Amino acid sequence: MGRVIVVTSGKGGVGKTTSTANLGTALALLDKTVAVVDADVGLRNLDIVMGLESRIVYTSMDVIEKQCELSKALVRDRRVDGLMLLAASQKNNKDDIQPEQMKAICDKLRTTHDFVLIDSPAGIERGFSNASAGADEAIVVTTPDVSAIRDADRIIGLLQNARIEPINLVINRFSPQLVGNGSMMDQDDVLDILNIELIGVVPEDSGVINSTNRGIPLVYEDGSPGAQAYMRIARRLTGQRIPIHNFEQKGLLNNIVNWFTRKR
Amino acid sequence: MNRSLAGASVQIDLKSPTLKEAEIELLSSKLQETYDLTVRGVEVADEPAAPPIAAAPTTHVISQTTDPRPSRDNEPSRIVPHTIRSGQTEEFPQGSLIIYGDVNSGGEVRAGGDIVVLGTLRGSAYAGMNGRLSAVIIAMDFAPLQLQIGNYVNRSSVSQAPRGYPEIARIGAENVIIVEKFVKF
Repeated sequence: MGRVIVVTSGKGGVGKTTSTANLGTALALLDKTVAVVDADVGLRNLDIVMGLESRIVYTSMDVIEKQCELSKALVRDRRVDGLMLLAASQKNNKDDIQPEQMKAICDKLRTTHDFVLIDSPAGIERGFSNASAGADEAIVVTTPDVSAIRDADRIIGLLQNARIEPINLVINRFSPQLVGNGSMMDQDDVLDILNIELIGVVPEDSGVINSTNRGIPLVYEDGSPGAQAYMRIARRLTGQRIPIHNFEQKGLLNNIVNWFTRKR
Repeated sequence: MNRSLAGASVQIDLKSPTLKEAEIELLSSKLQETYDLTVRGVEVADEPAAPPIAAAPTTHVISQTTDPRPSRDNEPSRIVPHTIRSGQTEEFPQGSLIIYGDVNSGGEVRAGGDIVVLGTLRGSAYAGMNGRLSAVIIAMDFAPLQLQIGNYVNRSSVSQAPRGYPEIARIGAENVIIVEKFVKF
């Protein structure tokens, strides 16, 4: 039986879809069978980020309306073995799907895949409850800024109420330079507030924009810091124990510079 | 006043000999009826030969200070054994709230009595929600979004980085909420 993991954040634009695409691909590169599910009905994006938009014929809506079999709606990623995408309908809206229907799809997918990753829409309404309905675990993505953290905190409360655990945290778009000069929260500040398990820190990586536009997830080009961070998170998801990478700049010169520029 | 002292015998220790016999009598009877304390004697700091009220041996020496705060003895408290996250509210109009965790930004706690946060207070706290102006808010780390005691609100001036020591908010002189280092209650 596979694990169903919802990738969520509350706030939009923090990297849920990028994280889902990269973690799904990374897990497949680690020889796992993976289904990534776009739960953002009406505003689908995951197909673009994964570069599969031209190959989508059926969506989860068609499966729910029994227009086609689930296996027929799954789009196989040809670049790596064992990776499938179930797209969301672009012409419907979130109220057209019931949480039980999403749960039924997840329960079916987990019989054939090691991991089912669900890309949740932003917000705490129907879209979120649909996305989390079939999930056993959650990955909460946040950026190190106060508004994203407050929304993540809200989502964590809702996930806990729904008895979804473990809830793991990904801190995205982390910038060691900005932390160094005191204008960005460091990971300890974030963890102090959210108080859940940290599964990875993804550094700010300008390659993400290019990778999104080309539809090639970052992890295919393993040289970039972002790709390495996602690979480490995927390994942790499979149970490997890898210490959290420390991006903060250490060294005497930096410490001296920080000491003078730090805002206190 | 500690309940366990009810029925005890006390000696009044006056810092300066300004009370007359009649006033000492009044104080003794007040102590008796309010706290069930029997006054055994009066000691005045500068005068060794203080006029004794009763010739019995003294057992306790207590310095009495006037306490304007109402007794919290018969009031229920609710313990919340987790963090209050954004969007969550904990309300307890019947008494005081004790939070075993943080109150995060966007979270809210409201109590008829006091609020004690055994973590960091980052959200909103509303003590004395039934109008009790003597209610207080205590937190191990104080960085609240908004404080309210009774009908007094404190917003911008209290938002700050945690200082690393416990602080207490109460209504001070001129009816403004003051926040100060928490030493003792």
